Amino acid sequence: MKRTHLVLAILGVAALLLFPVGVGNPYYIHLLETIMIYAIVLFGLDIVVGYTGQVSLGHAGLFGIGAYTAGVLVTKLGTPLLVTLIASIGVTALFGAILALPALRVSGPYLAMVTLAFGTIIQILINEMTFLTEGPMGIKLTKPNLFGVRLDEREFFWVVAVLMVLALIVVHRVLRSHLGRAFEALRGSPVASDCMGVSVYRYKVYAFVISAGFAGLAGALYAFSEQYISPNSYNFELTVLFLLAVIMGGRKSRIGAMLGAAIIVLLPKLLDDVEMFRYVSVALAVLVIATTVFGIQKSRVTAKQMAIPVVGSIALAGLSFWLQTMTDWRLSIFGVIMLFVVYYLQDGIVGFVRSALNLAKPKPEAQVAGASLAGGDAVSTTAASGSGEILKADRVLMQFGGLKALNDVSLSIQRGTIHGLIGPNGSGKSTMMNVLTGIYVPTAGTIAFEGRSVVGRTSSDIALSGIARTFQNVQLFGEMTALQNVQVGLHHTFDSNLFDVAVGTPRYGRESRAATARALGLLQFVGLADLAYEEARNLPYGKQRLLEIARALALDPQLLLLDEPAAGLTAPDIKELISFIRKIRDHGITVILIEHHMDVVMSMCDTVSVLDFGQKIAEGEPAAVQADEKVIEAYLGGQAA
Amino acid sequence: MIRFSKIAIATALVASGTLALAADPIKIGVNGPFTGGSSSMGVSMRDGVRLAITEINASGGVLGRQLVAVERDDEAKNERGVQIAQELVNKEKVTAVVGYINTGVALASQRFFQEAKIPVMNNVATGSIITHQFDKEPENYVFRNAAHDSIQAPMIVEEAITRRGFKRVAILADSTNYGQLGREDLEKALKAKGITPVAVEKFNIKDVDMTAQLLKAKEAGAEAVLTYGIGPELAQIANGMTKLGWKVPLIGSWTLSMANYIDNAGPGGEGARMPQTFIQEPTTPKRQSFIISYLKTFNPKNARMDSPVSAAQGYDSIYLLAAAIKQAGSTDGPKVKAALEDLKTPIEGVVTTYNKPFSKTDHDAITANIPVFGEVKGGKVVYAYPDDQKKASEIRVKK
Amino acid sequence: MQILTQLIFSGIALGMIYAVIAFGYQLTFATSDTLNFGQGDALMLGALVGLTLVGLGVNYWLMIPLVCLFGAFQGAVVERIGVRPAIKIKSEFGWIMSTIALGIIFKNVAENVWGRDDLKFPSPLPEAPMKFLGANVLPMEVLVVVGAILMMLAVEFFNRKTIYGKAVVATFNDRDAAKLMGINTGLVITFSYALSSLTAGFAGVLIAPLTLTGATMGAVLGLKAFAVAIIGGLTSGMGIIVGGIILGVAETTTGFYISTGYKDVPGLVLLLIVLAVRPQGLFGKTAIKKV
Repeated sequence: MKRTHLVLAILGVAALLLFPVGVGNPYYIHLLETIMIYAIVLFGLDIVVGYTGQVSLGHAGLFGIGAYTAGVLVTKLGTPLLVTLIASIGVTALFGAILALPALRVSGPYLAMVTLAFGTIIQILINEMTFLTEGPMGIKLTKPNLFGVRLDEREFFWVVAVLMVLALIVVHRVLRSHLGRAFEALRGSPVASDCMGVSVYRYKVYAFVISAGFAGLAGALYAFSEQYISPNSYNFELTVLFLLAVIMGGRKSRIGAMLGAAIIVLLPKLLDDVEMFRYVSVALAVLVIATTVFGIQKSRVTAKQMAIPVVGSIALAGLSFWLQTMTDWRLSIFGVIMLFVVYYLQDGIVGFVRSALNLAKPKPEAQVAGASLAGGDAVSTTAASGSGEILKADRVLMQFGGLKALNDVSLSIQRGTIHGLIGPNGSGKSTMMNVLTGIYVPTAGTIAFEGRSVVGRTSSDIALSGIARTFQNVQLFGEMTALQNVQVGLHHTFDSNLFDVAVGTPRYGRESRAATARALGLLQFVGLADLAYEEARNLPYGKQRLLEIARALALDPQLLLLDEPAAGLTAPDIKELISFIRKIRDHGITVILIEHHMDVVMSMCDTVSVLDFGQKIAEGEPAAVQADEKVIEAYLGGQAA
Repeated sequence: MIRFSKIAIATALVASGTLALAADPIKIGVNGPFTGGSSSMGVSMRDGVRLAITEINASGGVLGRQLVAVERDDEAKNERGVQIAQELVNKEKVTAVVGYINTGVALASQRFFQEAKIPVMNNVATGSIITHQFDKEPENYVFRNAAHDSIQAPMIVEEAITRRGFKRVAILADSTNYGQLGREDLEKALKAKGITPVAVEKFNIKDVDMTAQLLKAKEAGAEAVLTYGIGPELAQIANGMTKLGWKVPLIGSWTLSMANYIDNAGPGGEGARMPQTFIQEPTTPKRQSFIISYLKTFNPKNARMDSPVSAAQGYDSIYLLAAAIKQAGSTDGPKVKAALEDLKTPIEGVVTTYNKPFSKTDHDAITANIPVFGEVKGGKVVYAYPDDQKKASEIRVKK
Repeated sequence: MQILTQLIFSGIALGMIYAVIAFGYQLTFATSDTLNFGQGDALMLGALVGLTLVGLGVNYWLMIPLVCLFGAFQGAVVERIGVRPAIKIKSEFGWIMSTIALGIIFKNVAENVWGRDDLKFPSPLPEAPMKFLGANVLPMEVLVVVGAILMMLAVEFFNRKTIYGKAVVATFNDRDAAKLMGINTGLVITFSYALSSLTAGFAGVLIAPLTLTGATMGAVLGLKAFAVAIIGGLTSGMGIIVGGIILGVAETTTGFYISTGYKDVPGLVLLLIVLAVRPQGLFGKTAIKKV
């Protein structure tokens, strides 16, 4: 961590711990305590919403499970604090898994509705299972004992503060690790993620379960803090508030989560107090107007863009003076804020401030100095066991409805060769790739890779067994840097689990450093070493394609499938590409190459197969294929491009 | 219309508060459900409280200081009550608290006032255990001027079993603390008469369809249905009975007098009977002036108080507290409490005249002889027994 | 046995309401791949507006088309404010959050305008139950079933036989191509939202006399209707009718034989199971994703 950041962080924690000493009033201590507890929930929710991009409407339910686990254990069994907290985390994580395993097979709106249903079921169960939960009558608690001493308001505050800081550190570490990269990857491009050996489904579930654990911890602390829990509290309104907090504070940001927590706790209190609200809304309107004027002067925004925020904030201030009480309109105000945030503050307040002050996004990791590996070392040398068949596809049929995209196609790929796959557009080349990597399941036929069948296995499983690929339409993880993209490919080199990451064991340290070094080496191999810390989406098109190759190589594959790697490249780039592919082959990796650039195909390939309308019409050495009548006809007189 | 007069009242209160001479106002917390299914009780209670405060302030306030109501809407939710209690104790620093309509909210929240030694005058909530929650502690800060369930339940049972001769009764109670504790009181009272209910059913707040519960009661051969719930759900019970074509008498706790029961149950709700401490009829000069003032100030629809019992008890609770503060000569919690337990001068309230209503061991102002039976007739609550109406001008004092 | 018949009839009536709301989900999903998370609130607004109109003296049957008009307008507003901008900025869950936000706003406004209490909706048909196969059936329940089926048939007819219907199918299949063919896809999407809210409002005035009308009536209905849409399949009209009946009957029987508190559970659990085992629903078709 950078020096200044560390100092600021320490000051922040110190201020937090000194708060109850300075401010004696239990009401305000309790308020800040609630903010911290919500912040813990939001750290976890951010992983799901901010990183993996899933909308969960069930986190209030998970929060409630944590609270009730604590409540029931304490009142029925009198368990000590530490046991209670661990139990709450565990039980809630378990429920998270029960929910996630079926729910995350779907995505988008389906997940939102499923989690909503789950949250509703949980509320009903808590309400009805009175033998366990006392139902609507609720459970009364006192502050817990720690080391035999009953904690008072201040002491419990410190417990919560310490736990929040720990939660923050754990989340931070997880998100910076290979786990965090996996989460971002599955959002950036689910297909690519699967094909790089990071199973989208599995990691969505991990993310959800981890966030459930956090919600469980927060729930238990909440039960002790409020000293009373009832089923009513864990309702739709709360879950929407959590979402609003994450989005409004700023996704993918710990500060954003804490800010969001503060807003959703303080805003209702603010609305209760009309006087205070009037001051705040006027101040807000003034701020918005000032920012607009400033922005227009600097030509950063146009009047039209800022029209709605300006009018809105003035209207809000006016409304607060006209209405006698704002509490009745609390939910409408939340709704309007939500709309505003969705359209104008997509990166939340943190994102807005960052871009307004032109702050750079925090660098993901310290720049590793001098990756002095010779490029060649980074690409692993597969145990090239001489010759022999590495892949055999036999009479593959791929049918979509009535359309036969692949019709009785057989391929035999020899180890250590570059095998070209050509054909006119729509002939089934990419379909073949997708079948080989498990994206499609063939309607009929067999495919055996190194003796094992590929059919029916998941893409990530196939990737981990040695087949890597690039994509016709570039499928990079856009928001991640080039280095991080390659590191995702290196995911399979990590044995460390959640515990290793959270605690920071030596094993994790070793693996992390090794992965970074190796990734830099691979980037050097494709000539992208100096762009390592650039976001992938900012790279020029040609370099993006090379990055995909580097990422695919990170899988240590036996077989590399390249889908039109030369598309969109300029002539010098193509020359470079050819030399890369040759080097790859020299390392013992077998290559299947789909290409339209005939010179590339002819100069590199040992064998070429030609597809047309889903059928193989020719196969053999490049020169022979080039002269084949059927091939020429298929391309309608196509010759070397 | 009502909104304007509410705003007018609020402005008047604020104005009267600011017009007060240099002295600090005395803050009284007013805690009740002003929105939601229980709101007719909460709003009526609050209005009764406001009326009392205006009257007291107009005649100089208490100890030369004006009374100020710090009103908070608990939405009948226990957890809201808890949060409000903490706010009233730590942030607003109130002298005393009136309110609690819902038993559950009271039970969840009172302990914060008890810990802070702030007296609570429960003016509507009837759960028997409310005033006994802190019996084990040396000082008990919870008082009540409402008719608690250990009075109401036996009254209900007396009416159903003895006076009207039913042998098979079903109990329908909601799932809140109020409903479940009330049900327990009913079962206890029935047992004392050697009767077991033929069916005991539960329903949730916001439930709309009571068919299942009513069918079970009907199958069991119930001749009457005893209820412990609040307005909206009670109305659905009546509607459900109409839908099933099964009309048996409804006898239940005082909440059968709620406006939203009467209005939503329509003709099917007529004839329901419930214990009442106050019926909106000008049977004594005090009651007459109270009704006139209330109607003039708040102008409810059809000149019918939404919950006459809540309004009257809310009104009385302020007068009780004011008298105690005056007698104690201070707003210090323990002193006010001591004064309440030993009120030296009688206080003429709407429900009754309070003559030393509390003692160290007895914190309930209403005894079994005070409430009468009300009946829903013609869209409002009237005296069920003509005898009671004739004798209504006699003020029943605590025995 | 009599009780079981009673429960089944009530269940069917209830299920048809869910089906009509679910139908609305299908309409918007078909054209824009989005759903209105505030669908339940559209129903609630329809019911409350209907209540006001009836209170002002408008005849129930006359009130229905008026509420439908209101529903259409409300749906168009939701699309304009909530969905269109989100689609434009290609936000992945923007439309989820914005339709939720609009739903919350509508509910809060309704609470303030009509109050937080639940109100009684006067029934246009006699409230005395009829006897049918030994069970009590309210005339209103029959109206619900008939009304729901009529509404769905009307929309299906509209879709299949008219130009608009073809435009919808075209927009669903390929929005850009449809645009190039001169179809105003934006208008089509707006229209589908308007139609969806119209059906929701219609469902609202159908069901209002059977239950209490209030600001909170929409939320759970919306969620269960979604369960029906998933169970039946988001692309199949027949599916949602079957799904609705299954859900409705499961609910009433659970409410009686187990406990009323648990009556919402079977539907929601069924939703989870269907999503886990057969995500396209009982009658739906799987879509192939091309990479």
